[in-house]
Amino acid sequence: MTDALERLRHDVRAWLEANAPRGWRESCTSHEAFLDMQRGWFAKLAEAGYAVPHWPAEWPGGGRSLAEQKVIYEELARADTPRLLLSFMSTYHAACTLFEWGSEAQQKQYIPRILEGEIWCQGFSEPNAGSDLAGVKTRAERQGDVYVVNGQKLWSTMGQFADKCLLLVRTSTEGAKQAGLTYLLLDLKTKGVTARPIHQIHGDEEFAELFLDNVEIPVEDRLGEEGQGWAVAQSTLSSERGLTLLELSARMRGALWRIGDLIRETGRENDVGILRDFGRLTTRVDATCALADQFLANRIAGVERVGDASLVKLSYSRTLREFTLLGLRLGGMDAQYHTPITFGGGMETGNWMADFMNSYAWTIAGGSDEVQRNIISERLLAMPREPKGWTLAGGAA
Amino acid sequence: MSMNVSRAELQDAAEKAFGQGDLAPDAEKSWNLIAEMGWLMMAVPEDLGGLGLGADATGVIHTALGRALVPGPAMAQMLVIEALSAADGLTARDDLLTRAMGGEVMTASLAGVSTTGLHACVPDADRASQVLVVEDARILLVPTDSAGITILARDTWDKTRRLFDITPGESGGGLVLAEGDAADALARRLKAQLLFALAGDSLGGAEAVLAMTIEYLGTRRQFDRPLAMFQALKHRVADMKTWLSAAEALFWANAAEASVSVVQAGALKAHATTVYRTIAEEAIQLHGGIGLTMEHPCHLFLKRAMLNCALGGDADHWEEQAGRRALEIGAA
Repeated sequence: MTDALERLRHDVRAWLEANAPRGWRESCTSHEAFLDMQRGWFAKLAEAGYAVPHWPAEWPGGGRSLAEQKVIYEELARADTPRLLLSFMSTYHAACTLFEWGSEAQQKQYIPRILEGEIWCQGFSEPNAGSDLAGVKTRAERQGDVYVVNGQKLWSTMGQFADKCLLLVRTSTEGAKQAGLTYLLLDLKTKGVTARPIHQIHGDEEFAELFLDNVEIPVEDRLGEEGQGWAVAQSTLSSERGLTLLELSARMRGALWRIGDLIRETGRENDVGILRDFGRLTTRVDATCALADQFLANRIAGVERVGDASLVKLSYSRTLREFTLLGLRLGGMDAQYHTPITFGGGMETGNWMADFMNSYAWTIAGGSDEVQRNIISERLLAMPREPKGWTLAGGAA
Repeated sequence: MSMNVSRAELQDAAEKAFGQGDLAPDAEKSWNLIAEMGWLMMAVPEDLGGLGLGADATGVIHTALGRALVPGPAMAQMLVIEALSAADGLTARDDLLTRAMGGEVMTASLAGVSTTGLHACVPDADRASQVLVVEDARILLVPTDSAGITILARDTWDKTRRLFDITPGESGGGLVLAEGDAADALARRLKAQLLFALAGDSLGGAEAVLAMTIEYLGTRRQFDRPLAMFQALKHRVADMKTWLSAAEALFWANAAEASVSVVQAGALKAHATTVYRTIAEEAIQLHGGIGLTMEHPCHLFLKRAMLNCALGGDADHWEEQAGRRALEIGAA
């Protein structure tokens, strides 16, 4: 660790001691409180220059190396600050896609507003395009200077609170599925847009469903060329560069005390079965943290392999499931009585039944465990792909 | 790791020595090679004639030995060498240390501290000149030709290791290397070193048997396609690769730490051996019938994996200890 990084760590830590929100886990029991807290915390971080360290240097708060970003995230996790859930899609997915594909005019129009707190969501998934994203069916028809869009989008993170949307649409049904996709920037206040929150099984509403009924989007709000949507979407999906899993793993390690407390509260300090499970869990958490660390080191050194990110995600998602399940087992009957959730409280809140149900977010979202296993086996380990050509009507084509 | 030998260079050397696909190579040749390459002096301080390298270097060695299922007492020998390195001020020490680093077999128990006077799981004791005896508050080096000593060969399922039970007898002979608190501290260091070595051996073996399994799935055809094309099998392989990668990352993170507690090393060992065992079990299953025959090397990995699980305290033991430690940390 170099002196400059140690200095940065010291600065961030000192700043957090003075500025990190306190008591937010207790106060965030409504959407309103959650939104206020998220907006206020983002504005504070942006002002201090810690909100968008991954942006290019020409933008305020940007120009930090990956090693510096890692230090900032480690400190944010260490101080148990709220994760930036509301602005995450804006600063990563929207901004990074705009940096790569946006015209100068588009960047000037959208990037500064993100720093001022404009919220973006992602309109990629659909009822019939989840793991198979290229199967997007939402139609966009060019009519003069506008695209007229009709269709439905699902799992738009924070979509009900967002101002803008990264929209993947179909402009052609000819040729390969991927070749008919186009990428648009949608203002959610446009006529014909309806956003409806999705009620998750643990009581949160972190995602929305978007209904698009003859929505008109100006042609100048297209990112890339018509038919380039798949390539633009790949930029969006790879925008967060491994830092999220590093942060989440660090937060998981930082939350192990919750299990320890529960073991003591339930008087099971000498229950050998529980101790073993706890010991195994802590080691798995440590291993996941080490893997996330190694992944980022490889990325910084430029020796990352295709599929490495999937190893980290799969290791994290399975370990998180074990973490929350152990909490739930220890919670016993108490965990079965409904307790209101903390909005934006993260993956380990100590509300064990809610935490357990919420852990599926990582085994399903962002490429399910099964998709990660395909990537690991086919891309990292070069095992052959399954033969294509199965059709609904006649079996093997 | 020192400036002049990098982990990558050491890995290259290990690859050249044991990475040519020759599994469970000849014991005598392997031992000579290990000594010639200076692997036994790797961790010894430079002023004692060693190379002064840390756990990062010994980690490379143990994973390399595990990968090729190399027979012999390297792990035990390194424990003796560590104990001798610590025994400052003993006149006989320098000569013994030089001989041990040069390859004269001196061995030690891979089971841990003995409370009964029986030292179990001592590799290659019949070829050894000395055996390290770790007792409560006393560590000594006992010549294997001492009066009253008994050495009993134990035939293990794993044929890549040759284990013996040793009872030093009551003569009390031998060279005392450490006593009292110093002996206890050294015993803890030796234990952590043993657990780290077993973890490294396991991860090397797991990597090799996984690679072998993936290759087999790619060549074996059933239902007119390679087995590697079946998603049910690919997903099992992907899980194995994930657990292995995380365990490897943990292993090298431990190797980079200045000092590792016994429980921390035990937790690592439990994790690494569990990963090895799981992958070796799956390897047999995925190889099908051929994996159950002596003509295929699958069984060699399974047997070494199971032995590694049992040596130095099993996963049940270390997971419980790790749980207690985590509970203490949380309460502090």
